[in-house]
Amino acid sequence: MGSIKRISKELTELTESPPEGITVELADESNVYEWKVIMEGPESSPYYNGKFLVKLSLPTEYPFKPPTVSFATKIYHPNVTNDEKGSMCLGMLRADEWKPSSKIAAVLQFARQLLSEPMPDDAVEGRIAEQYKNDRGRYEEVAREWTRKHAC
Amino acid sequence: MNLQDFLAMEESRERDELIDLRSLDLVSEYDSHLMCPICHCPFVEPVRLQCDHVFCGSCLSSAINSFRSADSDEFPCPSCRNPTQKVSASVPRLLINMCDEIRVLCPLITEGCQEIIPRGHVQSHVEKYCGYRLLPCPDNSCDQMTRSKDVGMDQKCIHKVRRCAHCKENVLEHEYEEHEKELCPVLEVTCADCETVVTRGALQEHIESCPEVAIPCAASKYACPVKIRRADIAAHEQSCPIVAMGPYFETQNARLKSLESSMRHLQQRNEIFEDGLANIRSTLFESTRLGANSHSGGQPPQSDREQQSSARVDAHTDDPADLAAGVFSSNATTYLLSLHESLREEVSQLSHAITDLDARASMAIMNECMRIKEDIAHTNAAVNSVRMQVQWLMNPRLHQGTRGGAVRPSSTESEGTRTNMASSVAGPSHATGQSLGPLRPRRPSDSGREGTKL
Ligand SMILES: [Zn+2]
Ligand SMILES: [Zn+2]
Ligand SMILES: [Zn+2]
Ligand SMILES: [Zn+2]
Ligand SMILES: [Zn+2]
Ligand SMILES: [Zn+2]
Ligand SMILES: [Zn+2]
Repeated sequence: MGSIKRISKELTELTESPPEGITVELADESNVYEWKVIMEGPESSPYYNGKFLVKLSLPTEYPFKPPTVSFATKIYHPNVTNDEKGSMCLGMLRADEWKPSSKIAAVLQFARQLLSEPMPDDAVEGRIAEQYKNDRGRYEEVAREWTRKHAC
Repeated sequence: MNLQDFLAMEESRERDELIDLRSLDLVSEYDSHLMCPICHCPFVEPVRLQCDHVFCGSCLSSAINSFRSADSDEFPCPSCRNPTQKVSASVPRLLINMCDEIRVLCPLITEGCQEIIPRGHVQSHVEKYCGYRLLPCPDNSCDQMTRSKDVGMDQKCIHKVRRCAHCKENVLEHEYEEHEKELCPVLEVTCADCETVVTRGALQEHIESCPEVAIPCAASKYACPVKIRRADIAAHEQSCPIVAMGPYFETQNARLKSLESSMRHLQQRNEIFEDGLANIRSTLFESTRLGANSHSGGQPPQSDREQQSSARVDAHTDDPADLAAGVFSSNATTYLLSLHESLREEVSQLSHAITDLDARASMAIMNECMRIKEDIAHTNAAVNSVRMQVQWLMNPRLHQGTRGGAVRPSSTESEGTRTNMASSVAGPSHATGQSLGPLRPRRPSDSGREGTKL
């Protein structure tokens, strides 16, 4: 049950001094393992002005297992699956790259950073990654359109 | 030491730990370098890895258990993921001291202990010094627990119940003294004012009727400053002029209150009227401006502006006469405007009706035309069949006629009979030609046939 203490500590820190463009709260006050995160699209990205609802689930083995991050708001992004799950799983979020010393704040900042700098070589949506690499203008246009439609 | 030894050591250590140091409430801020990256608390029994990363021993052992692939002698450091085989218990003394110095609240704060102690001393404080730690009752026959501070020098049980000799109530042994001296309701006290001796339970009642207690005059709310013994108050109230004035003050108060309420009511109504007036004014201003605009349609723009400004002056002036004039003129213009509007509506209605009628008439004409066209087609067909019949009837005669004609030149018949013959033959064909004539005046075949017949 050491995880609950660490989780609530991190939650307190995040609510008291939230990182830029990120606000967190519990999806359900009685369950510290499910978080509701509102992520604002970074200014330098086509997601700017969008508010994305991101669900962060912590495993009971946290911090020994990584949290899972999924976009509840539809988003046009090479690293986010374009289905109802909207899951994002790469870099520090992978179980074999996760470090128990990483904080949730770092996870959220990493996810937001990914909005302005997608990683097309690590993509889950190959088509979007292709477009991102070969036709950046069109990608930004679609991403902006989706943001306007789903995240505003 | 290697991982196996370390895990075994942690296993054995966890048992003699009584207090969870991680759940303590920290009073002071501490350096972030003293925070274990796994549990986010100041290190508890820290250990060090080859990469110089430090963790709590227990945190590291859970990390090893969840990261090491089945019994290999290597696991990735939770901070840098470097493969690690050895765990070293030798952590700089300084680090441990700094962690032990962090101030925390006594975990028995729930029992009432307010002490703040260094974290390193918590264990011994709770075990030996805290006045709120629970000890078994010194009396062996009693199975209850006692706070250590309540166990007196005499080591006797505080759970025994003693009956109060005065009020017959059951009181705990250690609270008996306090009860007897201060709380017992049967305890006798003397009234501070009249020095009558009453029981504690009846004191409140006595004070309410004690003749010596100073009470204020009944007219104190109308500012009589007198405050004297209850015994004398009746005499004072008899002579107090303010008490005599009491009923008058009361009626005055009531009147003031009703006046105030009606004032408030009137104020509200006034506000409503003012709002209404402002509305009317603004509509008036609108309409006069509109009127000015429409009147001065053909005039030069300068006079237009003049009229507008005068209208504005009209609307804003507070002189009732001007206002009335403005109202009148604007009434007239609004009337004309509405008349104009209704006329315009009528015109548009009329034009609608006309287009409607037009459409209906052309529809009717179309229908009629269709009917007539059909009739004509019928007639044509009838005429054609009649013509066919006539032709059929005529054919034998024509054959006869040509046969006769071919014979005739060789015969010696007179010219007169030949013409007669020809005219009698042509007669009926002429008649058909004439009857067809008005209906189908340009049938080239008809004239051709006539020609051949003639
Ligand atoms: Zn720890
Ligand atoms: Zn390390
Ligand atoms: Zn204490
Ligand atoms: Zn006892
Ligand atoms: Zn008593
Ligand atoms: Zn008294
Ligand atoms: Zn008085």
